[in-house]
Amino acid sequence: MNTDQTPIIEMKNIEKHFGPVIALAGVSLSVLPGECHCLLGDNGAGKSTFIKTMSGVHKPTKGEIYFEGKPMHFDRPRDAIAAGIATVYQDLAMIPLMSVARNFFMGNEPMKRVVGINLFDHNLANEVTMAEMKKMGINLRGPDQAVGTLSGGERQTVAIARAVHFGAKVLILDEPTSALGVRQTSNVLATVDRVRKKGVAVVFITHNVRHALAVGDRYTVLNRGLTLGTSERGKITPEELQDLMAGGQELATLEGSLGGTV
Amino acid sequence: MHRFIRNFVLAATAIVAPLVITAGAAQAEGEKYILVSHAPDSDSWWNTIKNGIALAGKQMGVEVEYRNPPTGDLADMARIIQQAAASKPNGIITTLADFDVLSGPISDAVDQGINVIIMNSGTAEQTRKVGALMFVGQPEYDAGLAAGLRAKADGIGSFVCVNHVISNTVVAERCRGFADGLGIDLGKSMIDSGQDPAEIKNRVMAYLSANPKTEAVLTLGPTSADPTILALEEMGLAGELYFGTFDLGDEIVKAIKSGTIKWGIDQQPFLQAYLPVVILTNYDRYGVLPGNNINSGPGFVTADALELVEKYAGEYR
Amino acid sequence: MSDNETAALAADERVKEMSGFRKALIRPELGGIAGAILVFFFFFLTAYDSGMFSPAGVMNWSIVSAQFTIIAVGACLLMIAGEFDLSVGSMIGFAGMSIAILSVSFGWPIWVAIIVTFILCMAVGAFSGWLVIKTGLPSFIVTLAFLFILRGLTIFAAIATTRKTIIGGIRDVSEGDWLAPLFGGKVLTGFFQWMGDNGWIETFTRGAKQGQPVVEGIPMLMVWAVALIIFGHILLTKTRFGNWIFASGGDAQAARYVGVPVNRVKIIMFMFTAFCACVFATAQVMEFGSAGADRGLLKEFEAIISVVIGGALLTGGYGSVIGAALGALIFGVVQQGLFFAGVESSLFRVFLGVILLLAVILNTYIRRMITGEK
Repeated sequence: MNTDQTPIIEMKNIEKHFGPVIALAGVSLSVLPGECHCLLGDNGAGKSTFIKTMSGVHKPTKGEIYFEGKPMHFDRPRDAIAAGIATVYQDLAMIPLMSVARNFFMGNEPMKRVVGINLFDHNLANEVTMAEMKKMGINLRGPDQAVGTLSGGERQTVAIARAVHFGAKVLILDEPTSALGVRQTSNVLATVDRVRKKGVAVVFITHNVRHALAVGDRYTVLNRGLTLGTSERGKITPEELQDLMAGGQELATLEGSLGGTV
Repeated sequence: MHRFIRNFVLAATAIVAPLVITAGAAQAEGEKYILVSHAPDSDSWWNTIKNGIALAGKQMGVEVEYRNPPTGDLADMARIIQQAAASKPNGIITTLADFDVLSGPISDAVDQGINVIIMNSGTAEQTRKVGALMFVGQPEYDAGLAAGLRAKADGIGSFVCVNHVISNTVVAERCRGFADGLGIDLGKSMIDSGQDPAEIKNRVMAYLSANPKTEAVLTLGPTSADPTILALEEMGLAGELYFGTFDLGDEIVKAIKSGTIKWGIDQQPFLQAYLPVVILTNYDRYGVLPGNNINSGPGFVTADALELVEKYAGEYR
Repeated sequence: MSDNETAALAADERVKEMSGFRKALIRPELGGIAGAILVFFFFFLTAYDSGMFSPAGVMNWSIVSAQFTIIAVGACLLMIAGEFDLSVGSMIGFAGMSIAILSVSFGWPIWVAIIVTFILCMAVGAFSGWLVIKTGLPSFIVTLAFLFILRGLTIFAAIATTRKTIIGGIRDVSEGDWLAPLFGGKVLTGFFQWMGDNGWIETFTRGAKQGQPVVEGIPMLMVWAVALIIFGHILLTKTRFGNWIFASGGDAQAARYVGVPVNRVKIIMFMFTAFCACVFATAQVMEFGSAGADRGLLKEFEAIISVVIGGALLTGGYGSVIGAALGALIFGVVQQGLFFAGVESSLFRVFLGVILLLAVILNTYIRRMITGEK
């Protein structure tokens, strides 16, 4: 891990207010190419708001976003996608009624011209989908198989493969493992590892410390809209991470009087 | 899968079989005549028509059928006439509710060699134009005019026409005739009441509250008359307000008896259904045909001589 | 291992033993195909000698089916995009009345009246679509409002301009117009005349049309229906926009996240539905020569029923234009065929309800097999 590298994306002192509610009160984070940066935090810590700011859904109230060293403003999710920031949402990754190939190319349909009309190139889409799925270790019956017949983990994998195929430089994964069984989780984690090795930066949102430690290079913990600090792999123990997530110092001081039972 | 399809077929057959048997039972020996009306399913007045053709069919030993567009859409009715022609009956009895829409299909049927009699709605001139044999019905404008003159003689100077079939131009002629009979402009005197009894009742009450000087109410059939009777009773105007109606029905007859309704104009729908079947049958069998159109109405029904009307109201009257 | 996963594995195993034949069978249109075969089989048995399959009879139910098809294609694409339009019937009345008032009462050339009406209707469609998107209300409610608004406006406009609710005389003003035959004309008339001359099809035996075939030609209504089916089918299955339609109806939020312009897709589909209603109305007005304020009553439900018989999912994201067209065919054949078969006409609704129910049950079963829906 070379920390002298230029971060591919850097968020500085991001604040986001929804009316009187302060969702983010100055969050900073930087992501390096090829690293898996885990964003941890308890429910309501501001993880969702933060990644939605990163992916262009929300505009920050204050703060700056640097993408490949240059300041950036995302007005719409499309802008972020165009820049190379892809987000895979937990339940909204795929459309179950549509085929895998149609899902894979949704929003990025390959075209071919037939008698002067632009048509969806189904042959190309089918070939690419089958090849990409094979690389990810999913054996499809056919490219027209509906996503609804895939398991939750497979759906996440398809979504990740899709983002990478379409040139994502930063991949934001919103709780990809929270609803999955053990085996499916390890499949997804293996996929994350594979993607990272291709040089794609991964922002991995989770509240499961074990999942984070399994793939993460760096860990940033959010609590009540604030960054509680970033730590590198091997420099923090699972217990410390757990404590930070559960309430930071306040809880750590409490722990003494509770006799280490929390 | 296969089992599913088999079940599908079995279920469909089970449901359809009784219908076919019903249809088969209706088939008698002899000629076949189809009556196509413009009335939606909800219009109960057409029951008399159904009973009329059924009785004529039985007496003459011919097969009769009644068809109508379920929603009263006249474009659908045109398709039904085309369909009736394609099924090659001996004759078609139909209304001319809208000349533009129906003249084409009707004259096509005539040109295919099918005898057509126009009933209920239409004029003598239109009947000639489409090539139909004759017209059996009540000339609506004339009926309205006659009613208007009668009301004028009774000292009436203003009225409200409760129209439940606002889209039927022919029926609206009754209001125009009535207004002309009174010698006033129809203007805002016609209200679109819709088909729902509760709505009709409340619209009539609203109109009468807003226009307390209204001297008479004219309804165009049982659909609008029945709720209007209730409206007048509720407002305490029953028997006070001059109330005339077109067409008859159970409630109308009772109201005529009790004095709420002054008179009902009976176009005698029974004759409109019964006579064409008899005429067509005799024309097909012996080549005889009356030499003119038949006016089945208007006949004024008042509190005198109600006995037979009362007995058969809604069935043959 | 979670229950979820066990189920998924089981599903995989079941999927693998599927034969090629069976795979070919399960298509969204299967319900429609099975229904159409069944319906034709039934009427061949019960109404074969009633004239239902004579040229005039075939033309009769084909036209009715074509009418349903025109509005069903629009309703189908909109439903796949995840929205409903309950104002289709009122839109038909509104469009017809607009053409009649502009051409007959205002004396505009009929082609101007038609074009203005199309623009007007598609603007109304765009507006209701925009309202649905902007307010986030269900399209069911928004278009229900338009059902009343448009019907009321139609009656009001007719009475305010002419004091009548049926405006005739359109045939006279459309005489010699270049655009009107595109909706009210007939094609292949020479071919049918030739068949009539050869005695292959029936001809009129008396009157002004003596010697002319009973079926004069293919009405433009049917040409429009076929054109719309082809257009809709290609749009849905073979283009990028078609993929967006599926995506918008399948899961609008997921589609937005990958950059599909969901709002634009939905509004365009509302406009397309309005366009189809307008085609229906224009063809009807041109054929019958008059516009009535009550035209098109309940047509929205007939369109939706056709689409549902054709295998589309009421909640969006799944369906087929070919299926919708088959649904419309079934609907038309049943509606007219029951008359031919001499079945008491009040039983039509019973029959329709039964067909609808059977088709939906079959379609649900097929869809579960395809999509692994629970």
